[in-house]
Amino acid sequence: MDRLRSLLENHWKLGLGLAIVLTVAGTGLMGHLVWDVTRARVGSTELNLPPIWVRNPGPMFPKPDPTSPLGSDSSGRDMLALLIAATPNSLRVGVVAAGVGMAAGIFLGFTAGFLGGWVDNTIRVVADAVITVPALAVLIVISSYVRQIDLNNMAILLACFAWPAPTRTIRAQVLSMRHRPFVQMARLSGASSFEIMFLEILPNLLPYLAASFTGTVSASILAATGLEALGLGPTRIPTLGMTIFYAIKASAILRGMWWWWGFPIFMLVLIFSGLFLVTIGLDEIANPRLRGAPRR
Amino acid sequence: MKVYLLQRVGMFFLTVWLGMTLIFIIPRLAPGDPVAAMVSRMTAQAGQVENSAEIIEAWRARFGLDDPLPIQYLRYMKNVFSFRLGYSLAYFPTTVEEMVRDTLPWTVGLLALATVLSFLLGNTVGALLAWRGTPGLARALLPISLTFTSIPPFMLGILLIYVFSFGLEWFPAAGNVARGIHPGISFSFLVSVLHHGILPATAIIITTMGFWALGMRGMMITTDGEDYMILAEAKGLRPRRIFFHYGVRNAILPQVTALALSFGGIAGGAVIIEYIFTYPGMGYLLYQGIVNNDFVLIQGIVTIMIVGVSLAVLIVDLLYPLIDPRITYRKGSYG
Amino acid sequence: MLLGRRRFSLTVPSIGSLILLLLICAPGCKRSRQDRSGPGARTERDLARKNTVIFDIDGGRVMNPDVWNPFVPGSRSDHGFHQAIIEPLFLLNYESGEILPWLGESFLHDDSLTTWTLRLRPGIEWSDGEPFDADDVIFTANMLLEHSPHLLYSASLATWIDHVEKVDDLNVRFHLKRPNPRFQLDYWSVKIWGGANIVPQHIWEGKDPITFKNYDPALGWPIFTGPYTLERVSPTEFVYVRNRDWWGAKSGWKPLPRPERLVWTWYGPEETRAASMANGQLDSLMDISYGAFQALQMRNKNIIAWSKEPPYAWLDPCPRTLELNHTVEPWNDPEMRWALNYALNRDEIVRIAYENTTLPNHHFFPAYPPLKRLVHLVEEKGLYERFPVMEHNPEKAKRIIESKGYQRNNAGYYAKDGKELVLLITTHEAFIEKQRIAQVLVEQFQHLGINATTRNEAGATWQDNYQFGRFEARMGWQATGSINEPWNSMDSMNRRWIVPVGERAQFNGWRWDHQAYSDLVDQIGVLPLGDPRIDELFLRAMEIWLRDLPVIPITQAKKLIPFDTTHWEGWPSKENNYIHSPTWWQSTHLILHNLEPTGR
Repeated sequence: MDRLRSLLENHWKLGLGLAIVLTVAGTGLMGHLVWDVTRARVGSTELNLPPIWVRNPGPMFPKPDPTSPLGSDSSGRDMLALLIAATPNSLRVGVVAAGVGMAAGIFLGFTAGFLGGWVDNTIRVVADAVITVPALAVLIVISSYVRQIDLNNMAILLACFAWPAPTRTIRAQVLSMRHRPFVQMARLSGASSFEIMFLEILPNLLPYLAASFTGTVSASILAATGLEALGLGPTRIPTLGMTIFYAIKASAILRGMWWWWGFPIFMLVLIFSGLFLVTIGLDEIANPRLRGAPRR
Repeated sequence: MKVYLLQRVGMFFLTVWLGMTLIFIIPRLAPGDPVAAMVSRMTAQAGQVENSAEIIEAWRARFGLDDPLPIQYLRYMKNVFSFRLGYSLAYFPTTVEEMVRDTLPWTVGLLALATVLSFLLGNTVGALLAWRGTPGLARALLPISLTFTSIPPFMLGILLIYVFSFGLEWFPAAGNVARGIHPGISFSFLVSVLHHGILPATAIIITTMGFWALGMRGMMITTDGEDYMILAEAKGLRPRRIFFHYGVRNAILPQVTALALSFGGIAGGAVIIEYIFTYPGMGYLLYQGIVNNDFVLIQGIVTIMIVGVSLAVLIVDLLYPLIDPRITYRKGSYG
Repeated sequence: MLLGRRRFSLTVPSIGSLILLLLICAPGCKRSRQDRSGPGARTERDLARKNTVIFDIDGGRVMNPDVWNPFVPGSRSDHGFHQAIIEPLFLLNYESGEILPWLGESFLHDDSLTTWTLRLRPGIEWSDGEPFDADDVIFTANMLLEHSPHLLYSASLATWIDHVEKVDDLNVRFHLKRPNPRFQLDYWSVKIWGGANIVPQHIWEGKDPITFKNYDPALGWPIFTGPYTLERVSPTEFVYVRNRDWWGAKSGWKPLPRPERLVWTWYGPEETRAASMANGQLDSLMDISYGAFQALQMRNKNIIAWSKEPPYAWLDPCPRTLELNHTVEPWNDPEMRWALNYALNRDEIVRIAYENTTLPNHHFFPAYPPLKRLVHLVEEKGLYERFPVMEHNPEKAKRIIESKGYQRNNAGYYAKDGKELVLLITTHEAFIEKQRIAQVLVEQFQHLGINATTRNEAGATWQDNYQFGRFEARMGWQATGSINEPWNSMDSMNRRWIVPVGERAQFNGWRWDHQAYSDLVDQIGVLPLGDPRIDELFLRAMEIWLRDLPVIPITQAKKLIPFDTTHWEGWPSKENNYIHSPTWWQSTHLILHNLEPTGR
């Protein structure tokens, strides 16, 4: 019991964050079992329904309908179905993009940090160049001509811009680890560079990499939502960013249809908060002193 | 030291060149050209445009868009090295320099200022979070403000507009200056500019503050365990002096590099913020250039951004040894 | 040694920002209490508001505010340029169907339709006092011909004009290469949005019209004949001031328009613009959605639209059509296109995509009286019974598709030879109206068993794909052209425009190839406007068109244009339809002359 309590105390951020993310993901994945997700399509419900608890919607809106408890938008999409369908999509884009980006980042970061020399210089120059080019600009260009914008294409596109930051930071970590005694020992024992990189250094970096991963997931979801908010996302696959785009285009704020943009923003805030907490939590595992300076 | 300097400057040029090449190639991969974009806009207003094919072909030839790519590339390089950015394709005969000159001050003014403010505030918050001497109340309040980092900037922008513009009507929802005010150095102009800039700046500051705070907190904690900190305490120095002169000063360095790098991210964030708030800055100009396939405009703006950011990073890198004498760039200092 | 760090304590920035905040809020808050104007207070001089009309800029932010040359493709005219400064030669009034004389008095043609004589109104002056006469017209025409095709309208005029001849100071004769009954209508009468404009010879002579910006505030450039001149320019706002020496008032033709100042301004997304109008900061707003209009009316009771009952909106000349690529299988088969037509439900599209602010369409013409008359002929002949375009009949659609050998596969879609029946509908990324239509269509086709999808394309890409023939289907308006005569829209589907896929097509990017239809259209093309022989040819062509259904008509185009009657009255409406209402068209001149201040 004590161990559990101390575990919770020390890692409450990680725990809370994971709880939030898993709840959100779970709602999305399980939601279609309890609610008809096809109602997220255009024309499924009456237009402009307010959420069910709104007593007096006013002259501009019809009376709430129990079959659309969270209301509907001006094209007849049911908000609850939309949230259930869109949330896992947004998460998935982030995870895939971060996964591919991190994989590339780990490989390149290790190679640069460990091998040094011209390999290191080349990788650094390319990474810096990609960082300085405004990612959103290039993404807008590319998404405007890709034939079919689906979630996987978006994820790959975003991954192209997700790799430089992990590369840089992993390289820095590897550089600092290179001179640690255990690495010298491994070298003396005759281990190859490859073995040292992936069997000695990588396990030590795992918490750090995990924190970096969730941070990249967050950034990827943000970039994807940003692109969608400009109208460049998939059209029939519901996503939170595209919902916000349609809401802006239909003057939802002026019309007072707060449920149209409010619920997607709320979901996104939950996702980002959860990922944020997970990142900090993992950071603390990687560097236990981050848990807080001991009170004197 | 000299070897390192040359190496570093060399890499600067290399990075800039690579970035410029990327921004040359990528937009040209997309089908469509700026004249076609204009024609499509005109068909939306005027219903139809006669002889559109001839117009498009004639202007393509005039802009040199039919030349082979290497020739266009060389032309681009030549222009940049003679400090000319060329005629915008979509807004001919306006030059890119003119358009940038009109919009850059607003973007720099708003976003760079907001970023710097966010940097200062965030780092202060982060440092305080790491310091023992912070009063408990502040310690509790500050993390709450950090949760705002979870909200993407453009969404916070929408929320701010909803609450403060449409709701309370304290701040305007669009534009950079009130209608009817002459631009110029006058009190009413400056006040109006600030009045219009508060909401977009707030959106940026609140959402980016958290990253700085977190990083600073991490760095401060790392520094806190160092030997010289214990020595300073043992010497009996005042806590505040230890905090600033020893703690913050050492922790701030990696943050400054990150700040220089983050200016590159300004461009991306600028596009959406300026879109939501209708702020006439360079980000919005870049967005317009992109949707119009205006290669020259895109290249011009992005080149400026790349050079700016790379220069900032270079300067910070070169200044490091001056700030922190422990860092040397002599070869062979690593095992 | 880093100085300044010590001074940087928590107190300074916090106190500093507090002071800053107070400084900003104070003037803002005070103004909010005084007058509820603007989403956020504005520095308004209330006296000036009474004499100023504020318009919304239609086409987005003007990125190059110092270019006032109407012929370069990147220039803008809708920010007050051709509404207040440049006057047209003639003005087509959609409501009455007449071509009103403005700078021109008459434009008569001979029997061969190859010689057109323009007679100018006497007494016209440029805003700097120089006389406007035949020399300016001839200079402009020759300048355009010389610089074809770079300048707008130059390529069109070069295809028609052989040479221009000065008869005297007020009369110009155009000699055309081929007969053209629509010469005056198409180019000089603001047929849609604007037209070719005359520029002053004494300013443009010797300049390169391709790079000439025509902007110099010290010299008063841009100089044209209109009742307003340019006072001030900024990236988001253009201010025009009334010219007391306007030729029209001097010569007694029309009195000076009542507004002293005109402002065209850009407030950003639809919401901010609508909110500005709700707070009295805009008198005229470009097209908005129905919901925004409702919200507007709730906040400001003085806001009106074209009509008081549904569909509230004015119908603009570009009907919305679902256009198919006739080089892509199976959409080159007329029966498959009819299957699509039976599958879709126009009423549902009007209800969902438009929230009931438009009308469904069963032809490709806008619903204006001269064209409605022709459509009535089609109905009388019984063609719509043989070809029921408006019929929504999914069963019929399924029968057609199945008769072609398609069967349902495991995913529930129709498939033949292992290939699924797909339809990709592309839309222009800037126009949410067509995107909404496409989304409803996708659901309707999916319901039937066609794997339909839609995607946005950037404007340049969308245009290129259309001209090069690289698309399957598009939600467009490219059959536009006719306003009061049928030939223009019909000719957009003429086979004479067809070029191979991969080459740029001017029109008929759909590559619909029908010899008989095109022959009929060519015959209509050389008959004078209003000739009775047109009706018969029209009916024969429409029979072919209806059987083939090359583009599928969906809806009429709506423009919901609100006006604020708080400060200004005399806006056009269905009851007061002295002119059509879009204020981003050059026809706004007539509106300006009709506005009266309310004194509020």
